[in-house]
This record gives sequence, structure tokens and C-alpha cells, in this order.
Amino acid sequence: MASISIPIPLRERAKSGVLGWLATVDHKKIGIMYMVMSFAFFIAAGLMALLIRLQLAAPNLQVVDPNTYNQLFTMHGSVMIFLFTIPMLVGGFGNYFVPLMIGARDVAFPRLNAFSFWITLGAGLVMLIGFLFGARSDAAWTAYVPYSTKSFSPTVGMDIWLMGVILLGIGSTLGAVNFLVTVYSMRAPGMTAWRIPMFVWAMATTAGMVLLATPVLTAALLMLVADRNFNTQFFTTNRVQLWQHMFWFYSHPAVYIMILPAMGIISEVIPVFSRKPLFGLRAVVISTVLIGLLGFTTWVHHMFVSGVDPAIERFFMFTTMVIAVPTGVKVFNWLATLWGGSLNFKTPLLMCLGFLATFVIGGISGVMQGAIPIDQYVHNSYFVVAHFHYVLFGGSVFGIFAALYYWGPKITGRMFDEKLGKLHFWLMMIGFNVTFFPMHFLGLQGMPRRIATYDPGRGWELGNLIATIGAFLLAFSVLIFIINAIKLRHGEPAGNDPWEGNTLEWSTASPPPEYNFREIPTVESDRPLFDERMRMPQL
Amino acid sequence: MVPPVTRDAELINDLYNVILIFAVVVFVLVEGLLIYSVVKFRRRSADEMPQQIHGSRTLELAWTIIPAIVIAVIFGLAVDTMGRMTARGTLSNPVAHVHAINDVAARQRVERAQPVDLVIEVTGRQWVWQYKYPGGDGVTTSEELIVPANKNIRLDMTAADVIHAWWMPELGPMIYVNPGEMSYVWFNVPPGDYIGQCNVYCGVAHARMISKVKALPQAEYDEWYAQQAAASSAPTRPGDPKAGKNIFMNGACIACHYIEGTKAQGKVAPRDLTNFATYPTIAQLDGFENNAENLVKWLRDPQAVKPGTAMPNLNLKAQEIEDLVAYLLTLK
Repeated sequence: MASISIPIPLRERAKSGVLGWLATVDHKKIGIMYMVMSFAFFIAAGLMALLIRLQLAAPNLQVVDPNTYNQLFTMHGSVMIFLFTIPMLVGGFGNYFVPLMIGARDVAFPRLNAFSFWITLGAGLVMLIGFLFGARSDAAWTAYVPYSTKSFSPTVGMDIWLMGVILLGIGSTLGAVNFLVTVYSMRAPGMTAWRIPMFVWAMATTAGMVLLATPVLTAALLMLVADRNFNTQFFTTNRVQLWQHMFWFYSHPAVYIMILPAMGIISEVIPVFSRKPLFGLRAVVISTVLIGLLGFTTWVHHMFVSGVDPAIERFFMFTTMVIAVPTGVKVFNWLATLWGGSLNFKTPLLMCLGFLATFVIGGISGVMQGAIPIDQYVHNSYFVVAHFHYVLFGGSVFGIFAALYYWGPKITGRMFDEKLGKLHFWLMMIGFNVTFFPMHFLGLQGMPRRIATYDPGRGWELGNLIATIGAFLLAFSVLIFIINAIKLRHGEPAGNDPWEGNTLEWSTASPPPEYNFREIPTVESDRPLFDERMRMPQL
Repeated sequence: MVPPVTRDAELINDLYNVILIFAVVVFVLVEGLLIYSVVKFRRRSADEMPQQIHGSRTLELAWTIIPAIVIAVIFGLAVDTMGRMTARGTLSNPVAHVHAINDVAARQRVERAQPVDLVIEVTGRQWVWQYKYPGGDGVTTSEELIVPANKNIRLDMTAADVIHAWWMPELGPMIYVNPGEMSYVWFNVPPGDYIGQCNVYCGVAHARMISKVKALPQAEYDEWYAQQAAASSAPTRPGDPKAGKNIFMNGACIACHYIEGTKAQGKVAPRDLTNFATYPTIAQLDGFENNAENLVKWLRDPQAVKPGTAMPNLNLKAQEIEDLVAYLLTLK
């Protein structure tokens, strides 16, 4: 790995202290702010989940009244998706690591980047403060019309929710433009397509999806705002499916927006902790892009029982199932990477193994529901709740924790406590499965989602009780992570490259200086640091 | 799954069981490989360097093509099941949505499809299903749909306010019931009680929007129907519904009771009274049928009828009670 000197651009000297953070346009500081913000929202939405689980622990419980319950699951879903998973993966890790991994000094449009962050934070605060002060929405994160129209949701809470999501959409669209331009034009010399790190590939694909999908959601939301406040008739005179088409045209791809970056993380971490190259690099890249494209052809599977023409439904049944093929390719490539490797069971690898073990269950149940007759049975039941938590918690959240443990030392310059990390992993793995696995059975036994309570005698008592116990275990495991993060202050110094990483971010200091690299590296392979190490004389 | 009682539910159940076999095989394969790798390939020394394998075209092709075949098989099985679910009607799907407003042809297609013994009009509203029986006798029920067993029943469904969903796990496919559109469901069930629930979020009491089907042997059904028809044409009692409404809305009733579209917005009483007249019983008391006589007894002294009920004795005068009864029985 050679490197070339490029003079550092002249920007006003970085300010220190609070103002340094508020006024920063440094992608790393913005990335950290995204991470801290999303993690705070994760805690908030997690506490809501605990209330939800408490209420359902036994039949006819009333921890909160039905009204509050409905607002809780609405906000739990909205916050987890819009304010935690997407901003954490895209805004947090994407911002911090894409420029570092491609050997760039910043993103293409640093000020736009800062603007995206502040608009996202503002939107999040609007939604959450509205919630705390009684301006609440209870229309679920899907906000189906006509329930979300003025006639049935007359309160300002619905408008606040809509405004929040519109602002978030603007923030993430701008962020996507920024990523695409950065990856396209700012890669280090020598970084050809097949040498781009997998996480960057995943982020670029994600950014492309955001750019295509988000404006459709934003348009739908604006139409609904107009219907509610300016007496337009977009959704009141049309068949009720119009909203569903527009909503799911964004929200199904959004699932991949939440999982592709996590898959990118897994593809970075597994090779490092196996000391092997990623098996079938090109196949993994192609499957990433294919998932990105196919992700746009599946939205109607959310509408199999809502009255779409059966011929159209069959097409979407096919595309929904087909997406399992590139996903399967990834899973087998990861397994093949582990196979014959020299596995170093540090917390980041454990989190990846957790991802693999659980995500696969979500993938399988996804194919099952893709079959229309089965969807006509389990649609909107707890089976679906189980399925998407296996994808979004078993996938995205395990991926997020893998990234936090993997890159935490790079960001802070300190090592996490391994013992606490392992304890966190095992408690989370057990708590997660105890929480969500019984939900498959609840769904098959006829329990619908989004119900505030249920009568005894339907066979749902035991499953719900187990799930509630699991939820508290899960919450406890996150508490251990928080303790670990607080202890990080006194952690061992990490050095530049504690894990023997493969990618460029490990070639600079931990934490990286402003402008990342003193000299822009040039790249000659897909694992520049690995090759560098191999060339070093053995000591 | 809940044990199926209709052919459609059975077909779904069979398909589920077949796909479950594929699912278990894939699950065991992946988790097995994962566990094997974890046990077998742990790092044994700090400087261990495994063989650097970058990939294998054969393997890549294998795990692209084999899953593709599996997916194709599952797709084929699903399409086949859908086909068999169609076989008995001319419709492409036994659970069909037809948009009656602008699609007359589709509506006619539904009406021509297969022998139907009984057509019941269903309206979903927040938060109850209302059933209107044919025959012009004005027979309606809510909460519970009563049908003759082993007959072909068709439900013509629409929603009065927001989207609801008809889900009876034992009876087969689920369907959305959309405002301004028609949805149709067919079923034919043995005698018994079946239970399901609204399955698309529809507001505050969504969790309480239970759907029940009670299938009676034909003779019992006929008897029940005759009773209902007689009741709905029986002479009215000596009360004035308007006066009754006045008493209700200006008295203590509204503190606890809820009636949609009025100022009675109380949430203390467990059931809302919006469709009170269609409820089978008073105060959810088994055997205490909802009729004028019983209602008079109830209003005179609730505690005497159901000791411990939250409803107090309001010491109403006889005429007030008659007026209230008259008003309450207009709530359909």
C-alpha cells in the first residue's frame, strides 16, 4: 500500500467544545452525533416496547389504557425504524466509515451532511416531544387511510407525526445524494469497483434505494397532510389501496435499507475475525445490488389480502420469493468464509454469528409468508411480528452491535471490556429468542398484532408471558452494553489496528484525526491492510 | 395452526406443513454448518494463518441454483394451492374483493359463482361486525353471526368507516373489508362456535372487535330465525325513545357509558352501547337475554340482577325506565 500526499484543504480551524460539535461539518463528528442520537431513540423505543410487553403479559391486563397502548406501538415502530435503525446504520456508521474506508478526507458535501443531521434530529424531537406532550398519533407506523384521515384521527398528533416523517425523508434523501457522490467520485487512487469494501458497496446500494423510494413516501405524506388540512381529496375519493401502494413502495425497500448496511458490516467483520478473504467477493457484491433492485418489486406482498388483482398478486409472490436467492447466496458465502478459517471469538464476531443464526429464521419465515395462501392466514398476525423482528432485530440490531464493538475502538481509541461484551451477547441472544420465537406460535394460534389486550382461553397466555420475560432479559442485556460503553473511558488504548483489519480505516490513528489521513493511500487490492501485513518482515 | 374446519383452511394448512419441511431442512443445514464451523475452526494460536480461499465458482453456482429450484418448487406449490382453492367457483380466488361501486361485471360474477344457500350482508364498523339476514324480516345481529351448519354461506361485506379485516383462522383465508368496496367470503362449516378477530388496526377498541360464528343445525337455526323475526315485528312498548334519550344524555348514564356520535363518551362501562339493541345479553350476563322485560328489571335494580356490577341503582321512576328502554332498543 503506497500513499500519495495531497495537501489538506483549508477550512476554518475546528472549534473545540460544545460549539465544535454544533458547528461541525466533519463527517466523523456528524457520524458520532447520529450514533448517539439514534441510540437515545433506541432506548426510548425500547422502553415503549417493555410497556407493550407488560400489558400483554397476561390476558385482560391494563398497564396503560387502550388509547395509550395504541400510541405506544405506533411510536415504538416509528421510532425504531425512522429514528433508530436507519439513522444509526446510514447516518452513523455510513457517515463515519464510508469516507474512511474509501480513503477520502470527508464526504462530498460536508455542509449538506450537517444539514441532514440537524433536520433528522429536529424531526425526531418534533415526533417525540409531540408524543410526550399529548399530541399523539395512534394510526400505527403504516398510517393506513382512512383511519389516518381527519375524520378518524382528528388530533394534531397525526399532523405532527406526518411532519416528522416528512422532515426525516428530506434528511435521508439529501444524505443519500451525498453518499452516492462521495463513493462515486472520492475513492482513493486504485480503488476499482471490485476493491470497494463491502460495507461501502452496501451503503451505496442503500443510498440508491433511499433516493428512489423516499420521495414516494414523502409525496404520499404530503398528500395526506393536504387531505387533512386543505380539503384535498387524494385519499378520500380513491380506493383505499392508493395509500398502501405508495406507503409500501417506500416501506418495503426500507426493510432492505435497514438490512443491507448490516449485511455490509457482517461482510467486513467475518473475514477479519476468520483471517480469510470474503468468500466469493463478486457474488456478494452482485447479490447486494440485486437485493437492492429486487427490493422494489415486492411491495404488493403487503397487500395480498387487501384487494389487489389476483394475477398481479402472483407476480409479486414470485418476486418476493426470488429475493431469497441472493440473500441465500450471501448467507452461504459468509458460512464459507468462516469455513476453514482461524476464528477469533471476540464480541464483534459473536454478534455476527448471532446475526447469521437468527436472520436465517427471519428469511425462512419470509419465504413462507410470501406464499399467498399462507399470507392469507398469517397476515397481520403475531407470526408477522415474529418474522420482522427476526429480520430487523436478529439482522439489523445484531449487525449494529457488531459494528459498535468492531469500530468502537476506532472511534474512541479505547477497547471495550470483552467479558462484558460476551455477557451482553449471550444475554441478548437468549433474550431475543425467548421474546420473539413464541410469537410465531401466537400468530399461528390466531393472535392479531396491534391489539391492546386479549381474553383468556384462546391459547395465547403462555406464549405472551414467555415473550414478556424475554423482553426484560433483552432490555437487561442492553443495559450491560451501556455499562460497557460508560466503562470505555478507562478501557485499554486500542492502537491503530486492534483487530488486524483489512480496510483503510485501520491505517489511520484511533480516533482518526481531522481529515482522516495525513496522506491519501493508494489501493492495490481488496484487502490493502492485509496485504501490507503479509509483506512486512516477520519479527 | 388452529385446526381447520373448511376445505380452504385445510388447503392452507397442508401447504403450510409442506413448506415447513423445506424450512426445517434449510434451518438445520444453515445452523448445522454454522455450529460445525464454530466448533471446528477456532483459532488455536495467535499466528495461525489459514489457507486464503477467495471463492469457488462451482459452489457459487450450487448455492444459487439449488435455492432457486427450491423457491420454484415452493412457488409452484403455492400456485397449485391457489388453483385448488379456486376449483369450486368461477372466481379466481374464493376470497374475492369486488369493487361493487364501479365494477358491475365483477359483482355479477360473484353472484353467479357456485351454489349459495344463504347470503348475509355484513358491515364492519368501529368496533363491531353487524349482520343483516335475508328474508325481509329485519333480522339483524351483531357480535355473533348465526348460520345454519353445512350450508354454503356467502358474506357480502363492506365497512362503514375504516378498513377492517375478517379473520376466522379455522374458516380459511383472511380478507380486508374496505369502506366503499365489497368483499366476499364463502364458507361451509359443521355445527360449532368459531372465533376470530378484526385483523387490521381500526382504532381504540380494535382489540375488542371479535368476530364469532355460531353454526347451528338447520332446525335450530330455523327456530332461532323465527324467534328473531317475531321479535323484530313485535309491538313496541309504552315508552318514548326521545324522552329516554333525554334522560340518558342529561343524567348520570353518560358518566360511564359510551354511545358513538352522542355526548355519551364514558369509558367506564366495559361495552359501548352504540349497537346495544343487537347485543344478545344484558350486562354480559349468561342467560339474561336482551329484551324489554329484562331491561326493565335491570334498570329497576341492577344489583339485584347481577350482584357486584359496577352499575348503581339509579332509583328511576317507572315511566323513566320505559322511556329509557324504548331509547336503548333503538340503538342498532
